[in-house]
Amino acid sequence: MTKPSSSVPAAVSAPAHDPFLSDRPVVPAGKPLIVVEDLHKSFGRLQVLRGISTTILKGEVVVVIGPSGGGKSTFLRCLNMLEKPTSGRIWFGGEELVSCGSIQPDGTDLHLSHRRREANLNRYRSDMGMVFQRFNLFPHMTVLDNITLAPRLVRHVSPADAKAKAMELLTRVGLPEKAVAYPQQLSGGQMQRIAIARALAMEPRVMLFDEPTSALDPEMVGEVLSVMKELAANHMTMVVVTHEMHFAAEVADRIFFLEGGVIADEGSPDQIFASDNPRTRIFLRQVEHSST
Amino acid sequence: MPAFLSSMLDALAGGWNSFAENFYICFIKNNRWQYITNGLGNTLQVALCAVILGALIGFLLAIIRSTHDKHGRLGFLNAIAKVYITVIRGTPMTVQLLIAYFIIFANINNKVLIAILAFGCNSGAYVAEIIRAGITSIEDGQMEAARSLGLSYAQGMYRIILPQAIRNILPALGNEFIVLLKDTSIASFIGLDDLARGGSIIRSQTYQAYIPFLAVAAIYLVLVMIFSKLLGILERHLHDTRAKEV
Repeated sequence: MTKPSSSVPAAVSAPAHDPFLSDRPVVPAGKPLIVVEDLHKSFGRLQVLRGISTTILKGEVVVVIGPSGGGKSTFLRCLNMLEKPTSGRIWFGGEELVSCGSIQPDGTDLHLSHRRREANLNRYRSDMGMVFQRFNLFPHMTVLDNITLAPRLVRHVSPADAKAKAMELLTRVGLPEKAVAYPQQLSGGQMQRIAIARALAMEPRVMLFDEPTSALDPEMVGEVLSVMKELAANHMTMVVVTHEMHFAAEVADRIFFLEGGVIADEGSPDQIFASDNPRTRIFLRQVEHSST
Repeated sequence: MPAFLSSMLDALAGGWNSFAENFYICFIKNNRWQYITNGLGNTLQVALCAVILGALIGFLLAIIRSTHDKHGRLGFLNAIAKVYITVIRGTPMTVQLLIAYFIIFANINNKVLIAILAFGCNSGAYVAEIIRAGITSIEDGQMEAARSLGLSYAQGMYRIILPQAIRNILPALGNEFIVLLKDTSIASFIGLDDLARGGSIIRSQTYQAYIPFLAVAAIYLVLVMIFSKLLGILERHLHDTRAKEV
């Protein structure tokens, strides 16, 4: 088994805790928050991810681009274990996700019980916000209940505090008047902004966006992207799967070009958009053509 | 002319006086109305208790079955659930009732209790499949969203999936209760004094078939209509919250 990179234990040893948010150790800005090692994922015989290794730093905005079927969404969904990786390791704030906390930074396996692993997994996920292409708001609850549910159930925040926080977030995404509305009364753009607010209510340490604007009418894309830009400006760590190249160019610290289940090209927006990798160039040209 | 038609015409030809007399014989004389009211009481008792038991069993089986379908866990329980559902749905209710009365609970003499258990277990198998279909009908994204926020599988099931599933399957569940309510009439097979048997006893004492059986049928009909109405109100209420104006 490969040992995790030496930077991971350093993150674990950071002693500062923020008990209100969760009991995770706080990773300082610029230090590795997510470390991925040789990640593989197959669905039956179909190999979707064929060995991805990377490090995502605290406060970094990583945009993942690439042709459909290249494994972008699967990569993102492996990061919070909605898809169980076939092999490989993912370290989040110094704790190992694939084994649900059983594998220690020094490589020893604690052989945790199933129940214990599930509890760990729930804790990790509560620290990773996820925004879906199809919003996935809870249709039987008001906007306010959508946002306050997880803080109340998972963090045991009092209803009053949860509500105050939710109203603050609704104001931040520009929809304070929609608190008592039901999701089906909202437009797609509004639903996605609520979904972002719902994820932010858990004070996550990273936000994962799975093609957040792909299901939206064109005139609603802007309002969602501007919320995401505001998050990036406030130093939220973000991993964004998207086809919005302007957003990538403007906001990304780093762009991954994912093709054939591997990171085929990687670099700053300037590097990627001027890349001499032929695959990257072909893809970018295709995207450019389809958007004009 | 068929026998039943000619006798019906005779009954009509007798006019009001004859009807009143027959009604007196069937229901008033010797307090025979008590056969009907006692029977109605037993029928309602069996139906209501059995529907609750059936719902509990149904929920349990549905959650075992759908958890197994999605995660491959609970294999042993799932196998038991599958056998249970297959056996219950594959044999007639009447036979199940007779087996419950004469074999499984042969030592127990409480017919109402045995009927509740038999009808409840039977209903549970059907309710299980209805609820499972309801759970399956909710898109995977709902559970994924719940899990991504840190909710456990059980919390996601209880808070997110089941409330939506139940709203979707309410008509089917209501229908199941209506079927159960009418099915309890076969409890006469084990000699339980239910509503249908009340009519039967009056007939055997008075040699009058029309009035007691039509009365019994009317009572079942009214019960079903009342229940349908209540169900309609409940459904509308659920839809109202769904589309409540801001």
